[in-house]
Amino acid sequence: MSSTSTTNLKDLFLNGVIKENTIFKLALSLCPSIAVTNNLKNGVFMGGAVLFVQTMVNITISLMRNVIHPKVRLPIFMLVISGWVTVTQMLMAAFVPDVYAKVGLYIALIVAFASILARAEMFASKNSFLPSMADGLGMGVGFLFALTTISFFRELVGKGSLWGYPIIDTKPILLLILPAGGFFAVGILMALFNWINARAAAKAAPAAH
Amino acid sequence: MTGKDIIKITLNLVIVYLIGGFILSFVYANASPRIFRNNQEAEKNALKELMPDADSIDKMGEWSPHEKHAKYFIAKKGGETTGYVVQSFGKGYSSYINTFIAVNKDFKVQKIKILAHGETPGLGDEIEKDWFQNQFKDKSIDHLKVIKGETKEDIQAISGATISSRAVTEDAVKNGVAFLVKTITEGGSADVQHQHD
Repeated sequence: MSSTSTTNLKDLFLNGVIKENTIFKLALSLCPSIAVTNNLKNGVFMGGAVLFVQTMVNITISLMRNVIHPKVRLPIFMLVISGWVTVTQMLMAAFVPDVYAKVGLYIALIVAFASILARAEMFASKNSFLPSMADGLGMGVGFLFALTTISFFRELVGKGSLWGYPIIDTKPILLLILPAGGFFAVGILMALFNWINARAAAKAAPAAH
Repeated sequence: MTGKDIIKITLNLVIVYLIGGFILSFVYANASPRIFRNNQEAEKNALKELMPDADSIDKMGEWSPHEKHAKYFIAKKGGETTGYVVQSFGKGYSSYINTFIAVNKDFKVQKIKILAHGETPGLGDEIEKDWFQNQFKDKSIDHLKVIKGETKEDIQAISGATISSRAVTEDAVKNGVAFLVKTITEGGSADVQHQHD
């Protein structure tokens, strides 16, 4: 977590999206990334919910960081997280009820996401408003990106449709939308993500000399 | 830990929890009427779709299949009873399947609609498909059984999802129709005492 000293907001943002991508790099929060990604719509809304919660939690904690007593920081972090999760839940139930019916259960689980508590503890409680917001946005966008990619791949190849609209008339590999297929999908995409990253790094390295 | 620390901790927790409580109640106050309306809207649309000809569909009472709250309704056209709609639940492979069933005056199924379920995507969720649901048209209670293989008389199972097919047919729909037959023909005004909000 060397990013603490970096003041460049863009670097902070990209750190969350690529270098420390919650799913593809840190391999955290894998349960929802398998459970809700059997269709694109659920994946996108779940990712959006995490993006919102992560950003709001980081902002709130960074604003309160000077008044929180260190002995009770964890109960306060938990309240802030569960508060924002509950807000997200109520807003989704009110405005996108059909999606909420499918992903509602997992929205509540955002409270227990290691990645969100970790960012509050390691980053937002030590940094000011803007860097914390950039970090939260980056982490959230990284998560949204991962869920979108996984659910796009699974729905297209597993069910032959996207966002619920049929694209191909068959179900090419039904396994992919079943729970077991989730592991394969995450594994394949994680490998692809890291391979592309490694290639980009290899290309950049000689140029630096 | 000094006395000052204790005061600071107490203040910390009280203030943060109070603010959190205020924010939550504010959002709840604004969102809950909308959530309630959404649920009512979904139910109203389902009823309308099930009984397109009726000009009034009124709640008659409630019953509790699988210990859940379910309602039943009477449909009228020009003052005359044309049929009934009953909500029912079927215990599926991985969820309770929330189903609305419309029957005519002779208790033959006209149409079914599945409001909510959590069956396996790609297999069990075929119960949402028209080809499966259309099989229920004009079935009387004796023919609400699942057959593996081709059938016109009864209900053909979805391949790979026999449990989900059975849950809809032999649990939700059959029990719902049986309840209606019993309540309407024998009891008349059963369960009115359950008409709580």
